[in-house]
Amino acid sequence: MYRKTMKRIKVDVKREVLRANDMLAETLRREWKDRGILVVNLLSSPGSGKTALLERTVEALKDKYRVLVLEGDIDTERDAERIRAKGVEAVQITTGGTCHLEANMVMRAWEEVSGEDWDFLFIENVGNLICPAGFDLGEHLRVVLISVPEGDDKPAKYPKAFMTSRWLVLTKMDLLPYFDFSPEKVIEEARRLRPDLRVFRTSAKTGEGIDEWVEALEETLHALRETGLSAG
Amino acid sequence: MHELTILQAIYLSLERVARQYGARRVVSFKLEIGEMANVVPELLEDAFKVLKAAEPLLKDARMEYEIVPLTLMCLECGYTGPWRDRTVACPECGSAIVRVIDGEDILLRDVELDVPEDHEEDKG
Ligand SMILES: Nc1nc2c(ncn2[C@@H]2O[C@H](COP(=O)(O)OP(=O)(O)OP(=O)(O)O)[C@@H](O)[C@H]2O)c(=O)[nH]1
Ligand SMILES: [Mg+2]
Ligand SMILES: [Zn+2]
Repeated sequence: MYRKTMKRIKVDVKREVLRANDMLAETLRREWKDRGILVVNLLSSPGSGKTALLERTVEALKDKYRVLVLEGDIDTERDAERIRAKGVEAVQITTGGTCHLEANMVMRAWEEVSGEDWDFLFIENVGNLICPAGFDLGEHLRVVLISVPEGDDKPAKYPKAFMTSRWLVLTKMDLLPYFDFSPEKVIEEARRLRPDLRVFRTSAKTGEGIDEWVEALEETLHALRETGLSAG
Repeated sequence: MHELTILQAIYLSLERVARQYGARRVVSFKLEIGEMANVVPELLEDAFKVLKAAEPLLKDARMEYEIVPLTLMCLECGYTGPWRDRTVACPECGSAIVRVIDGEDILLRDVELDVPEDHEEDKG
């Protein structure tokens, strides 16, 4: 029933599919760097302690620095409220079902607060170790968290999260006596994926390791401002 | 999962190519999926079914894909090839100074289209 005769052709388009996100992320990274704002993207499985670590972090930083938190969640405001309860500004990004943040979601949230000056911007990604690793948000520092109860096989199972992170935080260290978890094994496996990975061991409950982590963040902020490169 | 988002991005590219060649139907298309692109092929296939039902352009289309292994280039000894033992260090000399040169992206490749015999390609 063709009105015209048809021919079949093949076109090689060679087009990368995720490029739009990367371009936007690069624009954000440059703006943040020019304004001297250190942007940190936190990745982990659900419940590894991202918000708990951030609660401790903003408490330690808020008297000296202007701190902003973007909270990624599939559909609740709870994490942003936990940060606001510490007296620090937080913007909730609800992804509406999407399992990770994308640069365009971050940009929309950022535009609400970009009129003010900030020193630190923390982005808590959606709890998930797979998808967030594939989406650059324009951060200067990507940090992956593993909690003691999760077990020590995470790096082998989710290599991309570890390949793309510069820092690793082992959280809930207060629980080490109760779980069969070897920090050494995790660190060894993670460093096979990322040889220069810097490791922190923290507990949001006891405060263990928080000082060292906060100092490293401050050093990285200064390095970003002085040399334009982020240390760590 | 973000497979539907990815397919929607692919769809936009397909739509552009179809318009350029005056095609009303995509016959097939091929994807190169990086081993580290964080895509689960089974979920991509499910998402493709959803999209097929929604978009007439894809009504009879076939999706093919190929997994591209993570490929490293060593800046010390020059090794270029796939990674080994799930380690991002050079499999030849052990150096950590390597670049990932392939296996992280999703690439849309061959698109097969049915186009009218007399259609002039629409440039631009
Ligand atoms: N014992 C102990 N429990 C902790 C620690 N940090 C967090 N938790 C508990 O772990 C649970 C999850 O912590 P969150 O900080 O909400 O984890 P999250 O990674 O933000 O979770 P999602 O946002 O849902 O992905 C809570 O019940 C916390 O009280 C810690 O250092 N020690
Ligand atoms: Mg949280
Ligand atoms: Zn080498």
